[in-house]
Amino acid sequence: MRSFFRTPSVRALLPVAASLLLSSCDLLEFSPNDHRAPESERDLTAKNLAMLAQRPLPAGDTLRFVFTGDSQRFYDDAEDLVKSVNQQPGIQFMLVAGDISDFGFAREMRWINDDLRKLKVPYLTVVGNHDLVGNGRKAYEAIFGPRNYSFVYGDTKFIFVDTNGREYNFDGTAPDMTFVKRELADNSVRRHVIISHVPPQDEDFDPALSNSYVTALREDPRLVFELNGHRHAFSIGEVFGDGVTYINSSSFESRQYVVLTVWGDKQFRLKQVKF
Amino acid sequence: MGWIGNGVHTGLPLALCLLVNQTCAQAPEPAAGPFYLTLHVAGGTGLVALGGGYRLARQRLEPELLVGYVPRRLSGSKPLAIFTLKTTYLPWSPRLGQSRWQATPVTLGAMINYTTGQQFFLTNNSAGNYRPGYYWWSSAVRLGLLAGTRVNYGGPHQQSTTAYAELSTNDLHLVSRLTNRSLRLVDILTLGGGLKRGF
Repeated sequence: MRSFFRTPSVRALLPVAASLLLSSCDLLEFSPNDHRAPESERDLTAKNLAMLAQRPLPAGDTLRFVFTGDSQRFYDDAEDLVKSVNQQPGIQFMLVAGDISDFGFAREMRWINDDLRKLKVPYLTVVGNHDLVGNGRKAYEAIFGPRNYSFVYGDTKFIFVDTNGREYNFDGTAPDMTFVKRELADNSVRRHVIISHVPPQDEDFDPALSNSYVTALREDPRLVFELNGHRHAFSIGEVFGDGVTYINSSSFESRQYVVLTVWGDKQFRLKQVKF
Repeated sequence: MGWIGNGVHTGLPLALCLLVNQTCAQAPEPAAGPFYLTLHVAGGTGLVALGGGYRLARQRLEPELLVGYVPRRLSGSKPLAIFTLKTTYLPWSPRLGQSRWQATPVTLGAMINYTTGQQFFLTNNSAGNYRPGYYWWSSAVRLGLLAGTRVNYGGPHQQSTTAYAELSTNDLHLVSRLTNRSLRLVDILTLGGGLKRGF
């Protein structure tokens, strides 16, 4: 028996067998499109917001958060990103601008959460077009939560919008302009920040809605900036020359992210960090 | 691997044969007729799948068709059906002593399946409003590889019953694993198993 366990191939298989036993529940996949996840990996948006509520930001204090996007099958880079973000001083949370998964599988979203849950700060996501492929919409809603939502932190309201119009065959439902206008009309807070995956100048944004979206943003006196992903490259600018700043995130494999510091009515500073 | 080897590979298989099978020198007798029915559980082909197939290549190859069921609770919307074409290869199935039991320590196989449901596309050109190649994969069709083990009970000229278990993965999980060193093999594996009844 002892010599059996000394056989190199058997010794190589022992850790595999052990990890198989430990993760036997995960091994039972009835379909890769099964949208469910264990309880600890469900409703992550609500759970991260509850964590954020544990460390409130007094009104008037400076807001500082990390902004990135498109984690999309870049698990090796996600590990390094977490190590880097955990060294950033004074940040309050991290935002991921969509495309958490590549193929819209629940398993992929859980893999990313396996990395991002090691952040010292909560993280929040907006849904990306890849998260809507196949059964992805059900998986995203189960694992993260609603595709349109908002929260107030300190004196800033963060508004998350599903702008993946092409995934709905440009049927006029994404972005949900009723939701966008209602959230932007909230004048009980000092500032607004809006975050979505597909930017309004992109061909994947519903062309019938881009004008009303851009107009709603321009007419909001509280809007600090609009945050996007999708393009896998950092950029910042007034895309429409109308006074609204659009910031596009780097993707995980670009191995960089930005730290945004916001104070006053609309003042902000942007720092690029490479890892 | 032959039953009576005469080359450099003779030693080990023959020794193993002698350990488990005293009638090693004979060609394996058919354990059952060529047709069989399958009841399969999990393994990415549905909560349960029913089907059957026809044994080929002196019982070494088992092609089969399975129809799997994914209930509403798992799909999150309408129940789904998964149609799977699968072939299992049985390289070595020694009889255990003089008993009616037969073991296949290792089985290898491949499969292709199609999942029903409006949310899945055969290619992204056939659905929605995408330019060709926008999504390079098909969300409805999965390719899979599997490795497993099995035992079989039943003598010659009788119905036989087979119980098997297998680990499989699919093409997209494999792409994730091959492009990320931090994903472990176990992360992309799926356990499945079932029963086969020959007739």
